[in-house]
Amino acid sequence: MSFDIAVILAKGPQILAGLGVTILIWVAGTFFAVILGFIVATARRYGGPLVNLVLAIPVEVLRGTPFLVQIFLLYFGGPYIGLRLDPIAAGLLGLSVYGAAYYSEIFRAGYLSVPPGHVEAAECVGFSRLQTILFILLPEMALLVLPPSMNMAIILLKDTALLSLITVPEMTMTVSAIGSQQYAFVESIVVLALVYWGLVEVANWLGRITERKIAKLSVT
Amino acid sequence: MTESAISIRNLSKQFGDTLVLRDINLEVPRGQVSCLIGPSGSGKSTLLRCMAFLEEANAGTILIEGEPMGFVEGPNGRRKQTPAELRKTRSRIGMVFQQFNLWPHMTALGNVSASLRRVRRMPRREAEEKAMAQLEKVDLKERAHHYPSQLSGGQQQRVAIARALALDPTIMLFDEPTSALDPELTGEVLNVMRALAEEGMTMVVVTHEIGFAASVGHKVCFLDHGKLLFHDTPEKVFAAPRNPRLEQFLDTYLDRGAFLVQ
Amino acid sequence: MTWYLFQLLLQASLMTIFVSAISILAGLVLAVFLSALRMSGNRWMYGGAGLFISFFRGVPLLVQLLLIFNLLPVIGITLPSLATAIIGLSLSTAAYQAENLRGGFEGVPIGLIESAEMAGFSRVQTFIHIRTPIALRMTFPALVNEAILILKASSLVSVVGLVELTKMAQNLAASTYQPLPIFASAGLIYLVINLIVAFAARRAEDALPGLPAK
Repeated sequence: MSFDIAVILAKGPQILAGLGVTILIWVAGTFFAVILGFIVATARRYGGPLVNLVLAIPVEVLRGTPFLVQIFLLYFGGPYIGLRLDPIAAGLLGLSVYGAAYYSEIFRAGYLSVPPGHVEAAECVGFSRLQTILFILLPEMALLVLPPSMNMAIILLKDTALLSLITVPEMTMTVSAIGSQQYAFVESIVVLALVYWGLVEVANWLGRITERKIAKLSVT
Repeated sequence: MTESAISIRNLSKQFGDTLVLRDINLEVPRGQVSCLIGPSGSGKSTLLRCMAFLEEANAGTILIEGEPMGFVEGPNGRRKQTPAELRKTRSRIGMVFQQFNLWPHMTALGNVSASLRRVRRMPRREAEEKAMAQLEKVDLKERAHHYPSQLSGGQQQRVAIARALALDPTIMLFDEPTSALDPELTGEVLNVMRALAEEGMTMVVVTHEIGFAASVGHKVCFLDHGKLLFHDTPEKVFAAPRNPRLEQFLDTYLDRGAFLVQ
Repeated sequence: MTWYLFQLLLQASLMTIFVSAISILAGLVLAVFLSALRMSGNRWMYGGAGLFISFFRGVPLLVQLLLIFNLLPVIGITLPSLATAIIGLSLSTAAYQAENLRGGFEGVPIGLIESAEMAGFSRVQTFIHIRTPIALRMTFPALVNEAILILKASSLVSVVGLVELTKMAQNLAASTYQPLPIFASAGLIYLVINLIVAFAARRAEDALPGLPAK
């Protein structure tokens, strides 16, 4: 049994294309997840008990079930209710909604961390609710929500690998396909593992730098 | 046999640039209670922790019943004791901490019997019987199966004393044993210590309880800024304090004591 | 969607529970071992444990499983898919649990270790009888969290050929052309298992002896 990574690396352009799809879906998916998560958390905070309860259900369902089952349901089950998506769209939608459930919990904890007195003080000086959120609540919770947010982003990066199972042409699918064609499957998986490992370590490092920068800005 | 239980010679200790113990010389006689008093930061707790080798001194020696603590004198100078040698020297000492330091995942009985089982390798039943006897001595037999979180501070400290006694040490060290307790709980702990002193246990007690030092202590050592200023019988130390630092210290603590009585 | 299909899913969920439970426990033992290596004071052991943790936290579980599944036969080890699945999940969760335990070990008050030293415990005895139980107690909520994550992550072991809940759902969806109710039912079963685990954990937390003060 020979071990020849070169036959995999020879397909550099294809690998890079797969990497590109992975990063694109990851960045876009995380972006939408953060926005949607923030909207859900804000709606749960200000929307009254009924909205809070109604939104709690999807959040708990998404957090309590495997991502794989969610994307299978969306991709294979969707067409039966008229939701016919191509793999990339399904993957992006799935990742965004799944991530949003976790981000909404992160922001919920963030809202809870701000002392009510600060909000009351903002209302007293005539801030609107939106102004209070933008200028008081968000900056105050930033330091608290940043580490779990970074963490979640890295989890989402690793979870993009599952999209290969609904034929999204991201890195795992691309590289393992190269491995099968070249009769070098083990080599292809080793390359995959190393690339992901490198990506995650870089993301970790960026996260640490950002945290340090933000920590310097904060007064407390 | 006249050697001291603990003899400390030319002991110095510094943390970074601060000298916390300066050239301490002290003999702790067998069968007696020696109380270390002094203001906060005077180095009394550090001195006690050096005796247990929880802190390593920078210079000087400590002999525990004639044996150097932490070091072995050899033909080629001194070397550090191996962990096993250190454990053997330490086995003569029982230690009671300010914060009790009971292991939270074990019951009172578990705390007291742990060393018998793990260190002495006693079978569980035998270890627990012996531990139960120790708990009875501190009057906590009926609390044997409670976890530390279910005991009051005073009860926890009594369990800690029973635990320290489990391996039959010849010397007991107490590091501010009542400082973490509510005032109304100090009595039960001091009573246990008093009873232990009456049995003739060699004890070194770092304390702010001047009353205890005066009534139970055979010797009182007053430390200030890392120096051992006085070392004498309580009568002599407390009767006519001439040193201004000692006088100031006693004023503070006796005042506080008087305040508590009111 | 019939009661019969649902029963098949329920049966398969037993495999999910079994694989997850074994992996969590094996991962816990391995995580304690990794923690011991990190606290050994030996540079090589420390570095080795660190590399292990970094790798298994840095690579997607799917890729890890593919790696183990394909690499083991190459080096002459052929294992049933159940064993491969358990090994894969255990190695992965061990890395995460070691990271959780790190906080626990760091949080053990120094006084509790000093009192163990004074009671004559050796370093190894202190690690086994004092540090580890207290660290485990302190990180119990994180362990529960990890158990729920592994229950969900076990859905990936279908790639090494094990038929558990997700794989069964996939098979049934393909043969009945009813992916919607079948995957929804599978999701529901995961949700119920997780709720039960979370509930049981809360009860267990109350029953456990106390945490160290402060």
